[in-house]
Amino acid sequence: MGSAADIVQQIAKGTRSAAAVLAECKTLIARKDPELNCFTAKTFERAEREAAAIDALYAQGKTLPPLAGVPYAVKNLFDVEGMVTLAGAKLNAGNAPAAADATIVARMSRAGAVLVGALNMEELAYGFLTENHHYGTTRNPHDLERGAGGSSGGSAAAVGAGMLPITLGSDTSGSIRVPASLCGVFGLKPTYGRLPRTGTFPFVNSLDHVGPFANSVLGLALAYDAMQGPDPADPACAQRAVEPAGVSLPLPAGTRIGILGGWFHEWADPAARRSVQLAAAALGATEWTELESAEVARAAAYIITGAEGGALHRPRLIERYEDFGPASRSRLVAGGLIPASWVIQAQRVRRHAYTQAMALFEHYDLLIAAAAPAVAPKVGQETLLINGRSIPTKAGLGVLTQPISCIGLPVCTVPVWPGEGDAAAERALPVGVQLIGAPWCERLCLAAARTLEQAGIAEIRPTSAL
Amino acid sequence: MTKTDDNPLEAYVRAALALQGYKFGDAEVAEIVAQFSRLETVARTVLEWPLPFASEPAPVFRP
Repeated sequence: MGSAADIVQQIAKGTRSAAAVLAECKTLIARKDPELNCFTAKTFERAEREAAAIDALYAQGKTLPPLAGVPYAVKNLFDVEGMVTLAGAKLNAGNAPAAADATIVARMSRAGAVLVGALNMEELAYGFLTENHHYGTTRNPHDLERGAGGSSGGSAAAVGAGMLPITLGSDTSGSIRVPASLCGVFGLKPTYGRLPRTGTFPFVNSLDHVGPFANSVLGLALAYDAMQGPDPADPACAQRAVEPAGVSLPLPAGTRIGILGGWFHEWADPAARRSVQLAAAALGATEWTELESAEVARAAAYIITGAEGGALHRPRLIERYEDFGPASRSRLVAGGLIPASWVIQAQRVRRHAYTQAMALFEHYDLLIAAAAPAVAPKVGQETLLINGRSIPTKAGLGVLTQPISCIGLPVCTVPVWPGEGDAAAERALPVGVQLIGAPWCERLCLAAARTLEQAGIAEIRPTSAL
Repeated sequence: MTKTDDNPLEAYVRAALALQGYKFGDAEVAEIVAQFSRLETVARTVLEWPLPFASEPAPVFRP
């Protein structure tokens, strides 16, 4: 399949047509998806039209857009014109089809990308697995006995399996970074408010982010740049002008990088710690630091998530409780009962944690931590054992991501292969590393990711399981 | 004495469910009580965290 940048270059040179790229993509999907269960819908008719439009531009000698002919797919909570937006939930299946594309899907189309389908996710984005009661489990492309993570599991696994160079997902508490970590792909959760969420099915308005997955850092940057820009229809969108990450992405000399200890070290198992160590060494980072409010920031995000998610779904929980999956319905109802005083306190904690993080950025430009506490768990595994402590898998996979999205910082997650574990199967699996920037510093996160990619520390590996 | 008198968390859940218009049987209520109990455990971390009195919330978060 190749990277997005390779595809764009080949189409621009005329060595490959958009139609040929799409045909290869369809073959890969037909071969690999039956075992993985990434796709919930395919949009091949639209893809044929979009690919033909790119080939027509080339034939006319016109300038091609920046993602010309690059196939991609989206988590099924993004509106796609003419399709029902499922958000992983059976109770949405009877809704009217979307009247228009989500803003960032429309922007991807304008940039020349070719939409091939919609991807599986955790029901209503509530959880870090993609073991969907209604639409099945998405499996890990590097070990089919294991899960892809979630909630954007289909998005990560489709890239990890080599079916697509770019996909889109969302991240409320780690739903881009956790599956990127487990599936061994690159993922970008931009600053809260950077990318508009208009036309996406909401979960927690005050925490929801959207962003890309890719099989290369340049692919992430190309997609990110294509999707940037203000959108007054999203009240949380920061209305900032486009600040291109660009494609050269050099990491500035003298970049100060801190390794997050404390909570982030305690909840990282030996494989996750080894990933951080490899990334730190390649970036020349030697100083450890601590975000003291990490634990309470995670707790605050947990409370805000429960309260907003529960309130959002209350009318349908009253009328159609049985149509919600058993793993989410009682959690959602319980969240809706959270007292206002807890939510207000959580929002106060959030501001306080943000202030503490900004104090860290007086000393460092970038912070690094593992993106998941361990390698991908087996499908159905109910608990994780991290350094002797047990934690429920569904919530525990986000233990290292939730404190960061709580305060809206931009993060690029890169695939690192620690080679740690008791069993050979575990030693073959990745644990991602979060490259965390100050607000609006996505470019620096991507530059560090590019440095690790060029050093061979962050890499996409072929799947042996497929 | 009712069965919830010595279990304020369950009493709260039952009262809040009624106030919000939910009607569940005992099996569903038991699941929701278990979930709320987990939330309450996490909330304790938030509620016990020392904050300056004037610390403002971030209801619309703009970093």
